[in-house]
Amino acid sequence: MKNKNTAAAVVIAAAAVILLSSIAAVVISRRKPAGSTVEIISDGKVICTLDLSSEPDREITVEYKGRKNIIAIENGDIYMKEAECPDHTCMKTGRLSEAGVPIVCLPNHLIIRYKNGGGDTDAAA
Amino acid sequence: MQRRESRTAQIAELGVLTAAALIIFVIENQIPSPVPIPGVKLGLANIITVYAVYHYKWSDALLLVLVRVILGSVFAGTMISFAFSISGALLCLAGMIPISKLIGEKYIWLSSVMGAVLHNAGQTAAAVAVMKTTAVIGYLPYLMISGCIAGAFTGLAAQLVTVRLDSDRKKGEKSSNDDA
Ligand SMILES: [Zn+2]
Repeated sequence: MKNKNTAAAVVIAAAAVILLSSIAAVVISRRKPAGSTVEIISDGKVICTLDLSSEPDREITVEYKGRKNIIAIENGDIYMKEAECPDHTCMKTGRLSEAGVPIVCLPNHLIIRYKNGGGDTDAAA
Repeated sequence: MQRRESRTAQIAELGVLTAAALIIFVIENQIPSPVPIPGVKLGLANIITVYAVYHYKWSDALLLVLVRVILGSVFAGTMISFAFSISGALLCLAGMIPISKLIGEKYIWLSSVMGAVLHNAGQTAAAVAVMKTTAVIGYLPYLMISGCIAGAFTGLAAQLVTVRLDSDRKKGEKSSNDDA
Protein backbone atom coordinates (compact mmCIF):
# COMPACT_ATOMS: atom_id res chain seq x y z
CA MET A 1 0.00 0.00 0.00
CA LYS A 2 2.81 2.36 0.88
CA ASN A 3 4.46 1.67 -2.48
CA LYS A 4 1.23 2.47 -4.27
CA ASN A 5 0.93 5.78 -2.48
CA THR A 6 4.52 6.66 -3.36
CA ALA A 7 3.90 5.72 -6.99
CA ALA A 8 0.72 7.79 -7.00
CA ALA A 9 2.62 10.79 -5.61
CA VAL A 10 5.17 10.47 -8.42
CA VAL A 11 2.42 10.27 -11.04
CA ILE A 12 0.60 13.27 -9.51
CA ALA A 13 3.87 15.23 -9.66
CA ALA A 14 4.33 14.24 -13.33
CA ALA A 15 0.77 15.30 -14.15
CA ALA A 16 1.30 18.61 -12.33
CA VAL A 17 4.52 19.27 -14.28
CA ILE A 18 2.74 18.55 -17.58
CA LEU A 19 -0.21 20.78 -16.66
CA LEU A 20 1.86 23.71 -15.36
CA SER A 21 4.40 23.68 -18.20
CA SER A 22 1.54 23.57 -20.72
CA ILE A 23 -0.14 26.55 -19.06
CA ALA A 24 3.23 28.35 -19.11
CA ALA A 25 3.69 27.52 -22.81
CA VAL A 26 0.23 28.91 -23.62
CA VAL A 27 0.86 32.10 -21.63
CA ILE A 28 4.29 32.65 -23.23
CA SER A 29 3.04 32.01 -26.78
CA ARG A 30 0.22 34.48 -26.23
CA ARG A 31 2.58 37.23 -25.11
CA LYS A 32 5.12 36.84 -27.89
CA PRO A 33 4.56 39.33 -30.75
CA ALA A 34 4.19 37.34 -33.94
CA GLY A 35 4.86 40.02 -36.57
CA SER A 36 2.75 40.04 -39.70
CA THR A 37 4.30 37.34 -41.85
CA VAL A 38 1.99 34.41 -42.38
CA GLU A 39 2.70 31.18 -44.18
CA ILE A 40 0.40 28.66 -45.77
CA ILE A 41 1.59 25.08 -45.51
CA SER A 42 -0.04 22.47 -47.71
CA ASP A 43 0.92 18.83 -47.18
CA GLY A 44 4.16 19.81 -45.43
CA LYS A 45 5.28 22.35 -48.02
CA VAL A 46 5.19 26.11 -47.57
CA ILE A 47 3.26 27.13 -50.67
CA CYS A 48 2.85 30.79 -49.84
CA THR A 49 4.37 33.40 -47.52
CA LEU A 50 2.36 36.59 -47.06
CA ASP A 51 2.89 39.89 -45.30
CA LEU A 52 -0.59 40.61 -44.00
CA SER A 53 0.17 44.29 -43.37
CA SER A 54 0.62 44.93 -47.10
CA GLU A 55 -1.52 42.21 -48.63
CA PRO A 56 -4.58 43.32 -50.67
CA ASP A 57 -7.94 41.66 -50.02
CA ARG A 58 -8.16 38.46 -52.01
CA GLU A 59 -8.90 34.77 -51.90
CA ILE A 60 -6.47 31.91 -52.29
CA THR A 61 -7.67 28.49 -53.32
CA VAL A 62 -5.61 25.51 -52.24
CA GLU A 63 -6.35 22.03 -53.46
CA TYR A 64 -5.39 18.76 -51.85
CA LYS A 65 -6.39 15.50 -53.51
CA GLY A 66 -9.22 17.28 -55.31
CA ARG A 67 -10.64 18.89 -52.15
CA LYS A 68 -10.61 22.67 -52.11
CA ASN A 69 -9.98 25.14 -49.32
CA ILE A 70 -10.63 28.82 -49.90
CA ILE A 71 -8.51 31.11 -47.76
CA ALA A 72 -9.61 34.75 -47.56
CA ILE A 73 -7.53 37.82 -46.76
CA GLU A 74 -9.60 40.77 -45.57
CA ASN A 75 -8.33 44.04 -44.07
CA GLY A 76 -5.09 42.42 -42.96
CA ASP A 77 -6.84 39.38 -41.48
CA ILE A 78 -6.65 35.86 -42.83
CA TYR A 79 -9.19 33.09 -42.33
CA MET A 80 -10.57 29.90 -43.85
CA LYS A 81 -13.60 30.97 -45.83
CA GLU A 82 -14.64 27.64 -47.25
CA ALA A 83 -13.36 24.12 -46.88
CA GLU A 84 -14.29 20.80 -48.40
CA CYS A 85 -13.58 18.84 -45.23
CA PRO A 86 -15.91 16.81 -43.03
CA ASP A 87 -15.39 18.69 -39.76
CA HIS A 88 -15.02 22.41 -40.71
CA THR A 89 -12.92 22.96 -37.59
CA CYS A 90 -10.67 25.13 -39.77
CA MET A 91 -13.56 27.46 -40.59
CA LYS A 92 -14.70 27.61 -36.96
CA THR A 93 -11.24 28.75 -35.87
CA GLY A 94 -12.05 32.13 -37.39
CA ARG A 95 -9.41 34.75 -38.07
CA LEU A 96 -5.80 33.84 -37.47
CA SER A 97 -4.80 35.70 -34.33
CA GLU A 98 -1.29 36.54 -33.26
CA ALA A 99 -1.94 35.11 -29.82
CA GLY A 100 -3.77 31.96 -30.73
CA VAL A 101 -3.17 28.67 -32.42
CA PRO A 102 -2.63 28.14 -36.15
CA ILE A 103 -5.59 27.46 -38.43
CA VAL A 104 -5.44 23.78 -39.26
CA CYS A 105 -7.46 21.68 -41.66
CA LEU A 106 -6.32 18.18 -40.75
CA PRO A 107 -8.27 16.27 -43.44
CA ASN A 108 -6.86 18.48 -46.21
CA HIS A 109 -3.33 18.75 -44.78
CA LEU A 110 -3.49 22.54 -44.65
CA ILE A 111 -2.06 24.93 -42.05
CA ILE A 112 -2.08 28.73 -41.87
CA ARG A 113 0.20 30.18 -39.22
CA TYR A 114 2.38 33.11 -38.23
CA LYS A 115 5.85 32.42 -39.49
CA ASN A 116 7.69 32.77 -36.21
CA GLY A 117 4.80 31.58 -34.07
CA GLY A 118 4.28 28.05 -32.85
CA GLY A 119 7.88 27.51 -31.80
CA ASP A 120 9.43 25.31 -34.41
CA THR A 121 10.36 26.02 -37.99
CA ASP A 122 8.72 24.11 -40.79
CA ALA A 123 9.47 20.56 -41.71
CA ALA A 124 12.85 19.61 -43.05
CA ALA A 125 11.09 17.93 -45.96
CA MET B 1 -10.12 -7.19 -7.93
CA GLN B 2 -10.07 -10.99 -7.85
CA ARG B 3 -12.32 -12.24 -10.64
CA ARG B 4 -14.54 -15.20 -10.02
CA GLU B 5 -16.62 -15.31 -13.18
CA SER B 6 -15.98 -17.81 -15.91
CA ARG B 7 -14.09 -16.82 -19.03
CA THR B 8 -17.33 -16.97 -21.00
CA ALA B 9 -18.97 -14.45 -18.68
CA GLN B 10 -15.92 -12.22 -18.99
CA ILE B 11 -16.01 -12.33 -22.79
CA ALA B 12 -19.74 -11.53 -22.78
CA GLU B 13 -19.09 -8.55 -20.49
CA LEU B 14 -16.23 -7.39 -22.73
CA GLY B 15 -18.58 -7.50 -25.71
CA VAL B 16 -21.15 -5.37 -23.90
CA LEU B 17 -18.45 -2.91 -22.80
CA THR B 18 -17.09 -2.66 -26.36
CA ALA B 19 -20.57 -1.93 -27.69
CA ALA B 20 -21.12 0.70 -25.00
CA ALA B 21 -17.76 2.35 -25.78
CA LEU B 22 -18.61 2.37 -29.48
CA ILE B 23 -22.03 3.96 -28.90
CA ILE B 24 -20.53 6.63 -26.63
CA PHE B 25 -17.81 7.31 -29.22
CA VAL B 26 -20.23 7.64 -32.14
CA ILE B 27 -22.63 9.88 -30.20
CA GLU B 28 -19.82 12.13 -28.95
CA ASN B 29 -18.60 12.48 -32.53
CA GLN B 30 -21.97 13.95 -33.51
CA ILE B 31 -21.71 16.72 -30.92
CA PRO B 32 -19.78 19.70 -32.29
CA SER B 33 -16.73 20.60 -30.24
CA PRO B 34 -17.06 23.83 -28.22
CA VAL B 35 -13.47 24.83 -29.01
CA PRO B 36 -12.08 25.07 -32.55
CA ILE B 37 -8.99 23.05 -31.70
CA PRO B 38 -8.70 19.66 -33.37
CA GLY B 39 -8.50 16.90 -30.77
CA VAL B 40 -10.07 18.78 -27.85
CA LYS B 41 -12.94 16.68 -26.55
CA LEU B 42 -14.16 14.97 -23.41
CA GLY B 43 -13.41 11.50 -24.71
CA LEU B 44 -16.26 9.84 -22.83
CA ALA B 45 -15.40 6.42 -24.29
CA ASN B 46 -12.31 6.68 -22.10
CA ILE B 47 -14.57 5.81 -19.12
CA ILE B 48 -14.92 2.31 -20.57
CA THR B 49 -11.21 2.08 -21.39
CA VAL B 50 -10.25 2.96 -17.82
CA TYR B 51 -12.73 0.46 -16.42
CA ALA B 52 -11.40 -2.26 -18.73
CA VAL B 53 -7.77 -1.52 -17.84
CA TYR B 54 -8.59 -2.01 -14.16
CA HIS B 55 -10.74 -5.12 -14.53
CA TYR B 56 -9.28 -7.17 -17.34
CA LYS B 57 -6.00 -8.52 -18.55
CA TRP B 58 -4.07 -5.96 -20.59
CA SER B 59 -4.64 -8.00 -23.74
CA ASP B 60 -8.42 -7.89 -23.21
CA ALA B 61 -8.32 -4.12 -22.68
CA LEU B 62 -6.22 -3.76 -25.83
CA LEU B 63 -8.68 -5.86 -27.82
CA LEU B 64 -11.63 -3.79 -26.57
CA VAL B 65 -9.94 -0.54 -27.54
CA LEU B 66 -8.82 -1.84 -30.96
CA VAL B 67 -12.32 -3.00 -31.84
CA ARG B 68 -13.78 0.32 -30.68
CA VAL B 69 -11.25 2.35 -32.70
CA ILE B 70 -11.64 0.28 -35.88
CA LEU B 71 -15.45 0.16 -35.80
CA GLY B 72 -15.63 3.77 -34.63
CA SER B 73 -13.65 4.88 -37.67
CA VAL B 74 -15.85 2.80 -39.95
CA PHE B 75 -19.07 4.25 -38.51
CA ALA B 76 -18.14 7.82 -37.80
CA GLY B 77 -14.99 8.78 -39.54
CA THR B 78 -12.50 8.49 -42.30
CA MET B 79 -9.10 6.89 -42.67
CA ILE B 80 -7.47 10.03 -41.35
CA SER B 81 -9.47 9.95 -38.13
CA PHE B 82 -8.45 6.30 -37.82
CA ALA B 83 -4.77 7.30 -37.91
CA PHE B 84 -5.32 9.80 -35.07
CA SER B 85 -7.50 7.49 -33.00
CA ILE B 86 -5.21 4.49 -33.21
CA SER B 87 -2.01 6.32 -32.32
CA GLY B 88 -3.76 8.12 -29.45
CA ALA B 89 -5.34 4.93 -28.17
CA LEU B 90 -2.16 2.84 -28.31
CA LEU B 91 -0.02 5.41 -26.50
CA CYS B 92 -2.81 5.88 -23.95
CA LEU B 93 -2.92 2.13 -23.18
CA ALA B 94 0.87 1.77 -23.22
CA GLY B 95 1.03 4.29 -20.39
CA MET B 96 -2.19 3.60 -18.53
CA ILE B 97 -1.74 -0.17 -18.11
CA PRO B 98 1.58 0.01 -16.19
CA ILE B 99 0.51 3.16 -14.30
CA SER B 100 -2.74 1.51 -13.16
CA LYS B 101 -0.75 -1.48 -11.85
CA LEU B 102 1.63 0.81 -9.98
CA ILE B 103 -0.87 3.09 -8.29
CA GLY B 104 -3.85 0.78 -7.76
CA GLU B 105 -7.60 1.25 -7.62
CA LYS B 106 -7.60 4.17 -5.23
CA TYR B 107 -6.27 6.44 -7.95
CA ILE B 108 -8.35 5.49 -10.97
CA TRP B 109 -8.85 9.16 -11.85
CA LEU B 110 -5.09 9.66 -11.98
CA SER B 111 -4.56 6.77 -14.41
CA SER B 112 -7.27 8.36 -16.52
CA VAL B 113 -5.54 11.77 -16.50
CA MET B 114 -2.26 10.23 -17.65
CA GLY B 115 -4.13 8.15 -20.24
CA ALA B 116 -5.85 11.23 -21.67
CA VAL B 117 -2.62 13.24 -21.76
CA LEU B 118 -0.82 10.38 -23.54
CA HIS B 119 -3.75 9.93 -25.91
CA ASN B 120 -3.50 13.59 -26.95
CA ALA B 121 0.29 13.36 -27.26
CA GLY B 122 -0.13 10.34 -29.55
CA GLN B 123 -2.64 12.23 -31.65
CA THR B 124 -0.27 15.18 -31.98
CA ALA B 125 2.52 12.84 -33.08
CA ALA B 126 0.17 11.38 -35.70
CA ALA B 127 -0.74 14.91 -36.82
CA VAL B 128 2.96 15.79 -37.27
CA ALA B 129 3.40 12.65 -39.39
CA VAL B 130 0.24 13.17 -41.44
CA MET B 131 0.69 16.92 -42.00
CA LYS B 132 4.44 16.51 -42.59
CA THR B 133 5.18 19.61 -40.51
CA THR B 134 5.92 20.37 -36.88
CA ALA B 135 3.63 23.43 -37.06
CA VAL B 136 0.84 21.42 -35.40
CA ILE B 137 2.92 21.15 -32.20
CA GLY B 138 1.56 24.64 -31.44
CA TYR B 139 -1.60 22.82 -30.34
CA LEU B 140 0.17 20.49 -27.92
CA PRO B 141 -0.02 22.67 -24.76
CA TYR B 142 -3.75 23.22 -25.32
CA LEU B 143 -4.24 19.48 -25.81
CA MET B 144 -2.26 18.69 -22.64
CA ILE B 145 -4.43 21.06 -20.58
CA SER B 146 -7.65 19.72 -22.07
CA GLY B 147 -6.36 16.17 -21.52
CA CYS B 148 -5.82 16.83 -17.81
CA ILE B 149 -9.32 18.26 -17.37
CA ALA B 150 -11.13 15.69 -19.54
CA GLY B 151 -9.09 12.82 -18.07
CA ALA B 152 -9.95 13.82 -14.51
CA PHE B 153 -13.63 14.03 -15.44
CA THR B 154 -13.81 10.66 -17.24
CA GLY B 155 -11.60 9.12 -14.53
CA LEU B 156 -13.99 10.16 -11.77
CA ALA B 157 -16.85 8.76 -13.85
CA ALA B 158 -14.94 5.47 -14.22
CA GLN B 159 -14.31 5.43 -10.47
CA LEU B 160 -18.06 5.80 -9.82
CA VAL B 161 -18.86 3.04 -12.33
CA THR B 162 -16.32 0.74 -10.66
CA VAL B 163 -17.65 1.33 -7.15
CA ARG B 164 -21.20 0.79 -8.37
CA LEU B 165 -20.45 -2.41 -10.32
CA ASP B 166 -18.35 -3.83 -7.50
CA SER B 167 -21.12 -3.32 -4.97
CA ASP B 168 -23.68 -4.80 -7.36
CA ARG B 169 -21.40 -7.77 -7.86
CA LYS B 170 -21.06 -8.26 -4.11
CA LYS B 171 -24.83 -8.04 -3.69
CA GLY B 172 -25.25 -10.62 -6.48
CA GLU B 173 -22.78 -12.96 -4.85
CA LYS B 174 -24.45 -12.52 -1.48
CA SER B 175 -27.94 -13.30 -2.77
CA SER B 176 -26.74 -16.37 -4.67
CA ASN B 177 -25.01 -17.54 -1.48
CA ASP B 178 -28.26 -17.00 0.45
CA ASP B 179 -30.16 -19.09 -2.07
CA ALA B 180 -27.77 -21.97 -1.69
ZN1 LIG C 1 -11.10 21.80 -42.55
